[in-house]
Amino acid sequence: MLSVAQSTESGLKESFGTNAVQDFLIGIKPEFVPAWAIPLTAIGVGMGIVLAIVALLTMFSTWLERKVSGHIQCRYGPMRVGWHGWLQPLADGVKLLLKEDLVPLGADRVLFVMAPALVLASLLGAMAAFPLTGAFYFANFELGIFMILAMTSTTTIGVVMAGWSSNSKWSLYGAMREAAQVVAYEIPLGISLLVPIMVAGSFNLIEVSNGQGGGFGIFNWYIWPWVNPFMLPAFLLFFVAILAETKRAPFDLPEAESELVAGFMTEYSGIRWSFFFMEEYAAMFLYCAVGSFFFFGGFESPLSSLAEGMAGTGSVLHQLAQGATIILKGFAGIFLMMWLRWTLPRVRIDQVMTMGYKYLTPLALVCVLGAGVWEALIAPLWR
Amino acid sequence: MSTTDTYEPSIAQSKGELLDSGEREYMLDVRTQDMEVNMGPQHPATHGVMRVLIRCDGELVTGAQPHLGYLHRCAEKIGENVEWLQYLPYTDRYDYLAAMNNNLGYSMAVEALMGIEIPRRAMMLRTICAELNRIGSHLIAIGTYGLDIGAITPFLYMFREREWMMALFEKICGARLTYSYIRIGGVFNDAPPGWLSEVEAFCDTFEVKWKEYYDLLMQNHIFVQRTANIGVISREMALDFGLTGPMLRGSNIDWDLRRDTPYELYDEIWKDKAFEIPLASGEKGTLGDTWDRAWVRVMEMMESIKIVRWCLDKVEPGPIIAEIPKTLRIPPGEAYVGIENPRGELGHYVVSDGGKIAVRCRVRGPSFANLAVLEELMPGTLLADAIAIIGSTDIVVGETDR
Amino acid sequence: MTTVSKYVKNVFDSVRTTLVGMRITGKYLLQKPITVQYPDERLPIPNRYRGIHYLEQEKCIDCLACARACPIDCIEMDAVRHGKELEWISFTLDYQKCMFCELCVYPCPKDCIHMGTEFAFVSFDRSEFVHDLLSYRGMSRDAKTRMIEAAKKKKAKEEAKAAKAAAKAAEEVVAEPGNEEG
Repeated sequence: MLSVAQSTESGLKESFGTNAVQDFLIGIKPEFVPAWAIPLTAIGVGMGIVLAIVALLTMFSTWLERKVSGHIQCRYGPMRVGWHGWLQPLADGVKLLLKEDLVPLGADRVLFVMAPALVLASLLGAMAAFPLTGAFYFANFELGIFMILAMTSTTTIGVVMAGWSSNSKWSLYGAMREAAQVVAYEIPLGISLLVPIMVAGSFNLIEVSNGQGGGFGIFNWYIWPWVNPFMLPAFLLFFVAILAETKRAPFDLPEAESELVAGFMTEYSGIRWSFFFMEEYAAMFLYCAVGSFFFFGGFESPLSSLAEGMAGTGSVLHQLAQGATIILKGFAGIFLMMWLRWTLPRVRIDQVMTMGYKYLTPLALVCVLGAGVWEALIAPLWR
Repeated sequence: MSTTDTYEPSIAQSKGELLDSGEREYMLDVRTQDMEVNMGPQHPATHGVMRVLIRCDGELVTGAQPHLGYLHRCAEKIGENVEWLQYLPYTDRYDYLAAMNNNLGYSMAVEALMGIEIPRRAMMLRTICAELNRIGSHLIAIGTYGLDIGAITPFLYMFREREWMMALFEKICGARLTYSYIRIGGVFNDAPPGWLSEVEAFCDTFEVKWKEYYDLLMQNHIFVQRTANIGVISREMALDFGLTGPMLRGSNIDWDLRRDTPYELYDEIWKDKAFEIPLASGEKGTLGDTWDRAWVRVMEMMESIKIVRWCLDKVEPGPIIAEIPKTLRIPPGEAYVGIENPRGELGHYVVSDGGKIAVRCRVRGPSFANLAVLEELMPGTLLADAIAIIGSTDIVVGETDR
Repeated sequence: MTTVSKYVKNVFDSVRTTLVGMRITGKYLLQKPITVQYPDERLPIPNRYRGIHYLEQEKCIDCLACARACPIDCIEMDAVRHGKELEWISFTLDYQKCMFCELCVYPCPKDCIHMGTEFAFVSFDRSEFVHDLLSYRGMSRDAKTRMIEAAKKKKAKEEAKAAKAAAKAAEEVVAEPGNEEG
């Protein structure tokens, strides 16, 4: 197990939380291996675990998407591969690995190959800052949320690269729309997150989660109006912003199926396409989990308070309960996003921009202003 | 719209303004060339194999040109080579979504030449089948329209209803898409026992589901924003281009062949005031926009249910086909009969010289005429709107190309 | 409508219609799906279904009415006549051309060709689609029996006729003037 790192005076916590792995490796290190190999190996192992988590999340999310979409449309979804098709993503993965590696004629080969890798790498960087339980994380950044927002912004570069290097006009449309949309919705995303950050007083994800503890694990969540009445509008704005960030309906113009076949992903097949796919579902989970950290209590739930009461803070049972809690909350958010996808039509690109700049950003600013006034003047009266 | 323009990048330079500091300021204007995008024969949004060559400046469409012929199957030429009755399956296949109406048009044209009278029960069954098929065709039209706009689920709900309709047709004639049921002189098979009560059950359930489609798709704010004020066809434009069907009624022009040139039983049904002609009124946005046309189609489905109920009420047992010889020799002459297809006026023009085979069998497909308006509507809209406009014209390429 | 009220109305309309839509899809999410798990379960096929043809070979008289009625000429049949009986060689229907229009069923005078409820016809080889509808080749036992009976009857009839002609000739010989017993 990875251990909690010690905090220092500097902003960033050091040693990346991989102390236990490093100690273990020091113990088994043969003589000829130099000392600087240990942290590198520890980082490699950590990222391997993160990659495995991302892959598992994607697998489950794709299965959930197909079943949810199936049942909404009065049909079953996958049923043949395993019980109700739960092994379908595995079968899909095998099929994608076996596909021919196509690079279109006239495509910029270097950029074409680099784009999906860049997109997935940005996402893995963001997942590095995401704690799975109170003590199981790759790195506990003091500015955790900044790291996540920053790394997920860099996926845009990969998408634009994919659209441009495909040498296809339709892919270019998808890429240009995506760039405009994602950049536009970063603003309300960040601003609406300021409301819970103000109440919590910290950017660190674990501290924000701990700040919502007590009250049987449910009554101190930031979403409730008695904490701050501007939290609910802020959460709604945050949710719309993450729909646009992950290019999910109703904002799925960049990959509009009926207009652009698959938008910027049109020319990709096989394992390269599955990188984009993985990035989409893992980003959905990440954003939903971040939302649940800031609005819905993060690790705190009746289950985890029960486990804490029974076995003590930081114990294995408590950690398992925390992990289960955050994963369930993340998937509840994903379920809601899927439900919306199969209900709503697509918004046109200029309407997307109008909504982002003229509706969401001013409302987010109003929320921040109101929340600040509340926190400064009204909340100290009873807190 | 020429496709052979050479690319000449030019940098236009202004005269140069003299500033207070004594410097001259030049404004450079880099000209870009419009991008030509092929909404090619294979595309998820053109309903069939149709190519639309779009010239656009970024997302703004500046020119559009439809190219047809990808689905041409020489149907009219075949009509000059096979016997009268043998041509019937070919009529199914041009507008394959409303095959009963095609059969009806052709049969009516040949019966006009023969001058025979159709038994009443045959006319009732013909009307029931034609109106049920109108419902089915509109379900696909609106479902795929929603699909183009991005709403995937209403399409599947509408297909669920269409499955029921196709099961009804399967029971009466054995086929689900290309029926060849309405034949020269009447219909081919009588309705099996219990079929009429099943049709009634379908009508009852459909009215409930219709409300759901209206709420889920037509009233959805995003759908309204995508389709209102887009692709406005003015009254003059509609009449100039010779549009028919919902394209015309979407611009509040009161013309429906079922009422204005009545055929079969429609004059009786209209006299009984059993159905109305829905005319758009610009409820959301401008009159004549795509939302209005979709609205007309949705309302027409309800009117078709009313017509079917009227027929179920009044149908009586009797002969289902007129007495016609086994080898058909149609007396010489020519006839044109136009009927109200779900897409507009479907016209059959048949010429006979007294023999077993037609001399000419010309089809006026409504989608072909409706398609012409695309070149006028699309410039000035965004690319996503261009797709909405194509969807609202409800083109079936089988009918456009034959 | 002022700009502000339009702005507010837009926001409320979006939220309201989204919730209405979600209620409808949510309702179907919780209902049992209407599809069946083909090929384990199948939907019932009505008996008028236009599927692969079947021929009642006994009744067929090789009149070619169905072949003439077909718009695409997919039916071909070949038989040798022995009097009234047929010795069947082939009766093929080319399913690469057939469009399942049922125009061949109606003109049959003996009502022996029908369309069944089979629709799945899959093969790796094109030649398999030229489907032979015969259930036996040559002549059936009944037909052979009837033919032998008919031949026997014909022979008996001819013998009787020959005998009668011989008897008549003998009579005429007797009836000639020179032969009469005076």
